[in-house]
Amino acid sequence: MGNGTWRISRSRGGAHLPLVIVAALAVALILIGKAQSSLFDRARAGIVDWMRPALVATRTPMEALNRWVGSVGEIFVVYQENLRLKEENARLRQWHNTALVLQDRIKRYQLLLHAVPDPSISSSVARVIGRASHPFLQTMILDAGTADGIKPGQAVVDQRGMIGRVFLTGQRTSWVILLTDLNSRIPVSIEPNTDQAIMAGDNSPMPVIETLARGVQLHEGDQVVTSGDGDILPAGIPIGVIVADGPRYRVNLFADQTTAQDVQILDFKQPPEHPPAVSPGELPVTAAGLPPAVAQTNQGLPPPQLQPVAPKPVYKPPSVAPPVQPAPGTADDNSDSVPDNGDR
Amino acid sequence: MERLGGVMGGKFLTNTIPVLLGLLGVAITNLPFSIFGSWIPSPMYALMPIYFWCLVRPDLMSPGWAFAIGVIHDVLSGGPPGIWAASFVATYAVIDRQRDAFAGLSGWGAILGFATAALAACTAQYLIYCIYMWRLMPVSGSIKEFAVTSVLYIPVAFLLAWIHHRFVGPLRSEI
Repeated sequence: MGNGTWRISRSRGGAHLPLVIVAALAVALILIGKAQSSLFDRARAGIVDWMRPALVATRTPMEALNRWVGSVGEIFVVYQENLRLKEENARLRQWHNTALVLQDRIKRYQLLLHAVPDPSISSSVARVIGRASHPFLQTMILDAGTADGIKPGQAVVDQRGMIGRVFLTGQRTSWVILLTDLNSRIPVSIEPNTDQAIMAGDNSPMPVIETLARGVQLHEGDQVVTSGDGDILPAGIPIGVIVADGPRYRVNLFADQTTAQDVQILDFKQPPEHPPAVSPGELPVTAAGLPPAVAQTNQGLPPPQLQPVAPKPVYKPPSVAPPVQPAPGTADDNSDSVPDNGDR
Repeated sequence: MERLGGVMGGKFLTNTIPVLLGLLGVAITNLPFSIFGSWIPSPMYALMPIYFWCLVRPDLMSPGWAFAIGVIHDVLSGGPPGIWAASFVATYAVIDRQRDAFAGLSGWGAILGFATAALAACTAQYLIYCIYMWRLMPVSGSIKEFAVTSVLYIPVAFLLAWIHHRFVGPLRSEI
């Protein structure tokens, strides 16, 4: 098979680069790439922009093929799956009503406390037109780019939770580094104690929890959300739940990045934080009954224009539909009560 | 039927077939859809023409071409620059040093020969990544990539052999 019957050619011609020189070029390229990692970024973005119509055109048949291949095995378990989904649907209706009641209660508390409302975060919806899977790289390509207001660093979520971050944008396309990718590092907060940690991808389906404070004990089922540290991502985006893996902890992701078709790109821009404005009456010198040293402090410079501190934006899931009436016999009559944790 | 290579003007085209197939392999590998699912890496299709014509027509698949195919692979894959280029050049060096042994293989032996080359490519890629990232990387992805590439070479080898017989052919001086 293959090459067993060929006459082996010995000639390579005289114009070819020797192997040693090519090897040296390859090593030089790696070193240059290490020094300047964005070496190929413009070329990549340009090529994918150029390929966009082809990717969009091939998306539908390829997704249909993937669905067909995936559905072959499901035919045999469709009955059990249907029963399981009905049961899950009933549980979710209970949770839905509970969530609405709690949302109203939070609004009331915010009014009572005069709390600053969370600023809304705008978002764009994009279609997934490609997924790349290599041993050390897991990325996704979306059909929205700088022309649609997409910028590197923005969070990509689906209706269940976070999928990844935009790391490269072209005119009409953008690349997303998935949470499971080896190079992904996300600051997270683990409920209910808001333990801070870093979630790192390792190319396995479940990213690992790193840099956890000493002595912190996590429990299976604890919810993981973005912490918002570093002002890169909005706080509170749901990511997954904690799963123990020997001495380490992993995160079972809510979002299924292998099946996500339409995703939301959150336009998060943390405004620069300024110290609060100070009135002359609040100065310690003035408070002590002394006149302010105007001549010494001004020195011809205009007084600084200070802005109040803006609250940190928190991700809010899409607006919910009106309450769903629980099915008779399945929903709890006391909708204020929260189902136990075993239902998560 | 006369080969295209025997026709004046078609020689240039036939001489570029190995490189064009290598580039096609790069495109297919980086096609952002995978019928194997996201948890099995895309096969190294580009390595197949490199291996095949490095053995039978190294004048058409030189180290420079292997390097160029690797660079384009780097551009399209989204990974750090130079990794694929260095992996392909390293694999080319392995094949080049063992050409007599590889070219003498037939049947399943030829598949094992390619599997050796694929192992060299995956190992080179793994080691370069470990040095690049300066930490020990998980090896499971490379093993899957090696396995799926080796298995897929079986049908692709027939296609490459047909293309070689039909269009490329041996070096004229050796006929």
